[in-house]
Parts: sequence; structure tokens; C-alpha cells
Amino acid sequence: MESKEKNLAEIRKLLKELLVENLSLEDIRPEDIKDDEVLFGDGLGLDSLDAVEIVVLLQRNFGLEVKDMKQGREIFYSVDTLARYIYVNKKTT
Amino acid sequence: MYISGIGIVFTRGRGIDSFEKALKEGWIEPSRTGSIPAYRVGQETLTDASLTKKMRRADRFSRMAVLSAVDACRDSGINVNERAELGIVLATAFGPHATTFSFIDDILDYGDTNVSPTKFSNSVHNAAASYVSAILENRGPTVTITQFKFAFQNALILAGSWIAEGRCDHVLCGCADELGTVMEYACKMKLNIAKEGKINPFAFSDTPVSVPGEGSVFIMLSKEKGLNNYGKATETSFPRNITGNPDLFVIDADGMSANETGYRDIIDYGSLIAGYSPVFGSMLTGSAFNFAAAALMLKNQIAYNCVFQDNPFGAKLCDETSAKNLNEIYCIKICRPEIKTIIKLQK
Repeated sequence: MESKEKNLAEIRKLLKELLVENLSLEDIRPEDIKDDEVLFGDGLGLDSLDAVEIVVLLQRNFGLEVKDMKQGREIFYSVDTLARYIYVNKKTT
Repeated sequence: MYISGIGIVFTRGRGIDSFEKALKEGWIEPSRTGSIPAYRVGQETLTDASLTKKMRRADRFSRMAVLSAVDACRDSGINVNERAELGIVLATAFGPHATTFSFIDDILDYGDTNVSPTKFSNSVHNAAASYVSAILENRGPTVTITQFKFAFQNALILAGSWIAEGRCDHVLCGCADELGTVMEYACKMKLNIAKEGKINPFAFSDTPVSVPGEGSVFIMLSKEKGLNNYGKATETSFPRNITGNPDLFVIDADGMSANETGYRDIIDYGSLIAGYSPVFGSMLTGSAFNFAAAALMLKNQIAYNCVFQDNPFGAKLCDETSAKNLNEIYCIKICRPEIKTIIKLQK
């Protein structure tokens, strides 16, 4: 359990760095993004083009494909949901 | 058409005041961070807190264009909300080539289904003009002209036609070109790079030397005389021979042409000659920077000192920064002796 939380924390940290770099979030530092902050809309303010960037980011960095948009909405909700998706799917592949 | 505003991003900063300061200061050592000496635009120049969100996805090329266009707009004093019909024409020789090559690299590295959509959108040549248009909330025509030798001249002709036919009250007409690693390599292979970092515009040589530069200039052109006025751009043409007798010729000699001997003909006119490529660097759209210098001289009635006065043909050079009665300036670009362009500016 401790190992899982440690892994999730590492994934979240990496994700935040990748989001800031790949989405050119110049005025935001990785540590400013909260784990449960809503990524789209009122939260971090990301939009549909950012969603496609995140799809590319997941493919390039974690070898994961998100094709089901309904599933995507749940996965892309926050850094935490993204990290859990990565953790589970990397474990099973 | 009246020149009512100028915005500029170049190696020594941003804004017409920085450009004027650079013209007064003269030559500085180019940067030597890459494989060749060059006049690069620093990253710090391309940030603007008031535009951070709007430029978030913009690449370097688009940022240069946006900042100079916004500054030209501000310099003109034209109220954005009252601006009835604004056109935008961006001239470029190579477009956002750094992003384009990076996008192609990504296709090779990650496959065509795994490339950044933002990078793709920025690799399109009209992206920069679109950023400018979106940020200014413009609804008028927006065009990008991509041409190696006379992009800015053709942009001016298009801007003039939009104003003449009443399609636009104002046109933001400008240029942008960047110096990416691919361009550096091309310059290294194709040009005679001045190893000591000094362009020699008045050598009129058949083997001219260059120091590549990058940047962007936007000029606000208006149908009516506005709050701010630098003078008028009265003609842009491609004549066989130059007619008229201006107070000053500003020449585009910067080593980007294989042969600059055609400029020797200018000497016979007896007018003062100037050229400011050593201030901003060699680039195919350098005409826009010289145009900005000419407009500034008309407004201030000051002729700026030419940098590097290696003057083997005895041209009557502008050899000091001083007050001058300047009523007419011709900006001249000669690629080969038989291909000339003139942009005429009047007080």
C-alpha cells in the first residue's frame, strides 16, 4: 500500500511537470497544481486542444492510449485521476 | 498612406524607443551562442505579462509578430474598439520554420498519430498573423505573404490596395523571420558569414558578408493622418531605373544577396546614403526594419549615423547622427542589378 502511494505521488509529480511543459503553462509552476484540481473549465482552465495534447502526452510518456471519450472525461478530471489511470494501466500492461 | 505606428522586436529589445536607441548607439557584438555569429532575439524580450494567456500556445515566431503588432497598434494611438476596418498583412521569407521542422521531427520520432496538435497549428505559415488578428479581436482581412526576396514590398503593395479601395481604414503591415537551428545551418552553408560579426553594407561587394538576424516589425498604415504620424509611404514599385532625387537613400545591403554591386549605381544620384542592417542583422525581410528606420528619421528629422564606413566607392554616407531636413527617403533593395525595388517615404 505504501509502495502504491509512493508510486502515485511520483506519477503525479511527473504529470504536473509534463502538463506545465507540454501545455506551455508559463504562469503556473508544477507545485501550484493541486492533485484534485479540476483540469478543464473552471479549474486549471484547460480546453479541448489541451485535451488532445494530454492524449499525446500519455501516449509518448506512458505508452497509454485513451480512445473512449466518455472514459476520457473521467480520466482527465484531475491530476489525481490521471495518475491513477496511469498507475493501474501501467501495472496491468 | 500615413505611417501612424511602429512596433518592433529585434536583437536589442522591443519597441520603437529601443530601436531608436540602437540606431544612435550603432554596432554591437553579435551573439555567439550558436554555430555562427548572429543577432538573436532573447527569450526575455518575448514575454509580456499582459499577453501571457493569449500567447500561451504561440511559438517564438508568432510571439515576435504578436508583440511587434500590438506595439504598432499602441504606438499609433488608434483606439482598438473604435477601429472600424483593420487589415493585417504579415510578410515572411521562411515562416515558422523552426516549428515546422520540429513537427516533422516529431512525426519521425513518434509517428504521425502521436504529434502535438499545437505544434501542427503553429507550423502553418498563417498562424502568426492569426494570433495577431485574434489578440486584436480583428474582423478585417488577414493575409500572410511568404516570399524570399520581396515579401515586405509585396505586403506594402497589398496594404496600399486595401486602403485605396476602401476595404480598410488601417492596415498593420509587417514582417517576421526567425533564426532557428535549421536556418543557422542553411546560413552557414550558403552565406559568407562575417566571422568578426560585422556586416559591411557599403562595400557593394560581389561577395558580401552577413550576420544573420531575426525579429519582427509591424507598421500601422492609415488612410487618414492620425494622432501619431511618421510620414507617408507614397509608392512601392519595381522599376527598371530609379527616378527622383530623395534626401536620403536607405539601402538593404546586408549580405543576403549573392551580389551587391548593383547598389553602386545609387552613388551617382549624389544623395546621402544610409543602411542599418548592422543594427538588426541580415535577413530577407530586413527591408521592413530599414523602412522603420526611414520612418523614424522622417518623424524626428534626424539622420542616424551609418555603422561601418568601409566605403571603397566613395558613397556620400550619413556619417553622423544629426538633425537633417528630410522630406523624402527612398528605401532601396537591389537583388541583382536588374531587379530593384523602391519604397518611397515622404514627410
